[in-house]
Amino acid sequence: MKTWDLIKTSNRNLFRNKLRTFLTVMAIFVGSFTLTMTNGLGDGMRDYVESQVKNIEGDRVIIVRKKVDRPVGGPRAGTPAEYKENNGEDGDADFDPNSVLMTEPQMETAAHDIAGVKSVTPRYNIKGEYIALDVGKKYQLDLGMLSEGINAKTEAGRPLSGDGQIIIPIGLARTMDAEIANLIGKTATVGYKLPDGKIKTVALEIVGVATKGFMTNYASFVSAGTAKQVHEDQRPKDLPDRFIAFTVQMNSNDAAAIENAKSKLAARGFEADTIADNDKRTYDAIGIFKTGMNLFAFVALLAASFGIINTLVIAVMERTKEIGLQKALGMGRGKIFAIFSLESVLIGFWGALLGSLGGIAVGLIANKVLIAVYASSFEGFSLFAFKPLSIALVMLLVCGIAFVAGVMPAIRASRLNPIDSLRYE
Amino acid sequence: MYSLRTASLRLTFMLETRDLSKTYHSDGVDYEALKNVDLSISRSDCLAIVGKSGSGKSTLMHLLACLDMPTNGGVYFDGRDVSLLTERAKNSLRNEKFGFVFQQFFLNGRDTVFENVVLPLRIRGASAAEIDTNVGNAINAVGLTDKKFKKAKDLSGGEKQRVCIARALVSDPEVIFADEPTGNLDSVTGAAVEETLFNLNREKGITLVVVTHDSDLASKCDRVIEMKDGRIVSDTARLEAK
Repeated sequence: MKTWDLIKTSNRNLFRNKLRTFLTVMAIFVGSFTLTMTNGLGDGMRDYVESQVKNIEGDRVIIVRKKVDRPVGGPRAGTPAEYKENNGEDGDADFDPNSVLMTEPQMETAAHDIAGVKSVTPRYNIKGEYIALDVGKKYQLDLGMLSEGINAKTEAGRPLSGDGQIIIPIGLARTMDAEIANLIGKTATVGYKLPDGKIKTVALEIVGVATKGFMTNYASFVSAGTAKQVHEDQRPKDLPDRFIAFTVQMNSNDAAAIENAKSKLAARGFEADTIADNDKRTYDAIGIFKTGMNLFAFVALLAASFGIINTLVIAVMERTKEIGLQKALGMGRGKIFAIFSLESVLIGFWGALLGSLGGIAVGLIANKVLIAVYASSFEGFSLFAFKPLSIALVMLLVCGIAFVAGVMPAIRASRLNPIDSLRYE
Repeated sequence: MYSLRTASLRLTFMLETRDLSKTYHSDGVDYEALKNVDLSISRSDCLAIVGKSGSGKSTLMHLLACLDMPTNGGVYFDGRDVSLLTERAKNSLRNEKFGFVFQQFFLNGRDTVFENVVLPLRIRGASAAEIDTNVGNAINAVGLTDKKFKKAKDLSGGEKQRVCIARALVSDPEVIFADEPTGNLDSVTGAAVEETLFNLNREKGITLVVVTHDSDLASKCDRVIEMKDGRIVSDTARLEAK
């Protein structure tokens, strides 16, 4: 029998008992529908988070902190860390084991001899007070720094290219000028507090307006050089300068060199992560959430697969004589198996198709409703995202489950003896 | 595909059984349905196998038609031991060389006459052209051309059995096995169906093996094999010309 004939035969067989087929397809529909929704929810969350973190980029930068063995959760949570005796020198290669803070020479010592390292930049601790255009209104300023090699994507203008520049968040930009492109190249006055309480101002050129994101929604950013100046002004001069983290910029984005640098830093007692590592951790968390949700849908599919088995077992009994005739007329076991397996897969296919379409329809409606309700707090957030590949995988998985469900009845059909089958009452 | 080795020098019968035995086992009891049967059937024979129920006539037909495996002895088709054939080759043999007509029609009522008749060709994977010609010819041969696209369930009993004959005929078989072909029909329609079968034997030279307990039908065949308790008790040939 030709493949096309097999498919036609199977499909025709399915529609012999329309009600039974419909009910079995509905069970699969429910499972596929749920799977489409849970998958869409996971993808929607990932898309949103991705859109929020992707606007900070830097493919050759490693962010480094001192490693602390502080139990975060579990039964040891709250256990105090033991004080470690030390000589108190806190020298270049001899860190204070009781602190996460590092001095600039310590950072240099930790990283300068690693192959491929271009520069080491401390995370300067800075705090802004306000920002204003010429004689305009003053706005509160949340000021941060971007190390060399890290950039924020911009909605208008361009990324930071040197000192004396600032990138501002889109909300602030829109308040200052409805046409945000007009701000590019203008000079902003930035005020920050000195240790004695007085405000010092600095003029910075607005070079860009940052694209939305978790980090860039509220903060303005300056280069490391500008941040260093502010930091020098702000820090108490009677203590040695220490930092909570630093970034290592590599000469290139060569993955092997970055891995090597990370492992060297780890061996020296640091936690070293690239921006991609941090993003991946977030995606993984969403992935785990998505898998957990999908498990529920999977249980529904599993229940539905018993419906398929039941339907096919009955179909084999009903069609015993027909199978007997087909075998007498020379149809081989494989073809009989194929006809019943195809029926099973077709049930899965129709269920998956309807389930996916239903899931997408409901998801798109839900997105519309939710956007109307929550637009202000989560701009750009779609609860459900439907990707062709995800949908195709769901359909393939459902067809696969249906096939497995059909194996037992199909084998039973293929093993029937023609003489007994023709006499079957 | 089943192919014949025609280079055999020895004159062979089309279908032969040698020392053919079949024993069924059920609930620990052995039941000998066939006991050492030797039978030779020539091409274009018109043969009736008669006997009471339980005489072994159906078992003999199932073994001849490769629907069952003998316990002992062998069945030879054109001189070849069919027990040596693979499952696939046996399927091809039944599909291409044999036709079947059963007492029960085994038609799919919801399908058309055409769809029922085409089944053996579909199983074989025949080309569309072959299907068109052969199905048309087969339906024509049983006189149902005008009912070609009628649903099988809307036909009379005699017509249904003629659809079955067309289905047996569609693959140009060398042998047609008919198991009680008129058992479900009244005498008038039964006679018409018999006539269709005998015509095929006379005009196309198709070997006909009829299993029946109807002595009237058997007497119209050229040769009658009578079975009793798993053995052939008589083998009578009618002498007058066909």
